[in-house]
Amino acid sequence: MKKLELVCPAGTPAALRAAVDSGADTVYLGFRDATNARNFPGLNFSRPELEQGIEYARSKGAHIYLAINTFPTAGDPEPWHKAVDDGAALGVDAVILADIGMLDYAAQNHPDLRRHLSVQASASNPEAINFYQDAFDVKRVVLPRVLTVPEIKALHKEISVETEVFVFGGLCVMAEGRCSLSSYVTGQSPNTNGVCSPACDVRYEDEDDGSMVSRLGDFTINAFAPGEAAGYPTLCKGRFVANGETSYLFEDPVSLNAASMLSELQEAGVTALKIEGRQRGKAYIAEVVSSFRKSVDGMESGAEVENDLTQVAEGQRKTAGAYQKTWR
Amino acid sequence: MFPSNGKPPPLSPVLLAGIAARPVSPRLLQPVLDHVMKLLGKQHPDLFERLSCLSDPTFLIDPIDLPVVFHLDANPERTYLEVSRSIERPAAAVIRGPLMTLLDLLEGRMDGDALFFSRALAIEGDTEAVVALRNAVDDSGIDLRGDVLASFGPFAKPAHRVLGMGGRIYTRMSRDLDMLKAALQQPQPKGPQA
Repeated sequence: MKKLELVCPAGTPAALRAAVDSGADTVYLGFRDATNARNFPGLNFSRPELEQGIEYARSKGAHIYLAINTFPTAGDPEPWHKAVDDGAALGVDAVILADIGMLDYAAQNHPDLRRHLSVQASASNPEAINFYQDAFDVKRVVLPRVLTVPEIKALHKEISVETEVFVFGGLCVMAEGRCSLSSYVTGQSPNTNGVCSPACDVRYEDEDDGSMVSRLGDFTINAFAPGEAAGYPTLCKGRFVANGETSYLFEDPVSLNAASMLSELQEAGVTALKIEGRQRGKAYIAEVVSSFRKSVDGMESGAEVENDLTQVAEGQRKTAGAYQKTWR
Repeated sequence: MFPSNGKPPPLSPVLLAGIAARPVSPRLLQPVLDHVMKLLGKQHPDLFERLSCLSDPTFLIDPIDLPVVFHLDANPERTYLEVSRSIERPAAAVIRGPLMTLLDLLEGRMDGDALFFSRALAIEGDTEAVVALRNAVDDSGIDLRGDVLASFGPFAKPAHRVLGMGGRIYTRMSRDLDMLKAALQQPQPKGPQA
């Protein structure tokens, strides 16, 4: 069985070097604009930074995937087309795309540039995946975080493209690429603007009793008791009152950690493991990537290496997410 | 002054040093900060480039275990870091945490989101400005100790030794204070029943 590929995030050149030095096989990243789904202030790569990043990765035997995984603005696809053109010219190893028009553009104009289907396309069944392969010669699909391990195994019997699955990091509600919660409150979404719950709409306030309130736009979305671990200020991770009870209605602030399931994922047919977190600092990247490097290498010798990444996890808690569905 | 946000600061050598230094004017620190900012500008020229998206890159940095705060204006044309006892001056955002945590963040040893999740770090005001600053600092590879020591020229080596000794004393004091804290917090044994 082929060794699992470790695909790691980078939001800055320093994070890219940290990922490569910590054992990433591949680093995925985006340009500093709305063409990617982590369009955060001060984050991402200029063209010269990408060029230097590719050079650094190559010198250490690592690959670079360029995420161009937002949906172009109607009537203005130019920045997205330019991102594909520039990525191809600079020599990225693959582009990660979500939009059908963008896949068509890349296939027509850069037929030799490897195309991966982003999780933002939300392709989770054989019909959808085979369509993307037939129409745009997609080589790999990043699976949405909605499938159990047996479902991934069953899926592999009906597709012939590679699959990449998330193994660590923040989770989204199960409608990736179609979620409108952020745009409902702020007018901006990860799908078109590349930003979920934009920082300019987020406010934190410390209360006199030591609790902290987080607000998104005009909405109060959470209140953390003194000392209680916090999460991201997204509407899906807000705590709301329903039927007289305050609780997380959509999802808890908790990080995915599938470190104990790597062998199962490999046996199910998975090619690559993805770590979420292009918005995180280089300390997170170094810690998480080196931990998963040890786990993947440990598999070769038959030893499954557990990790303890609770301190860097959202809400300082972990879950196996949809890989082990217990809610239905 | 401290605690400036109404919460007690952690018991640490920094807190004790801050209390001891309270009678001293913070203005005496200003030449050191000016020197540090000059060094940062020289050794990390692109540090503030990632903040160009911000209209008001001003920050109040509040080490909760010290009786002073720092005002940072990250506008490339008038970059400065000023020490003061006053938290009244307006800033786009406030970043609050123990001094050593803030230094870990500055030098990229700890992840900002992880510190925020654990509540070791608190922010107020313009979250976008804080996120941009965090990303700029994280990418810059600042090594405050190395950068400052290098500027000492021929005195860098002895200064390094002095700093190393200070680090060892700090570690020992931290350990002792943790022990003291645990001793003070343990439940008192009940006396004999009457």
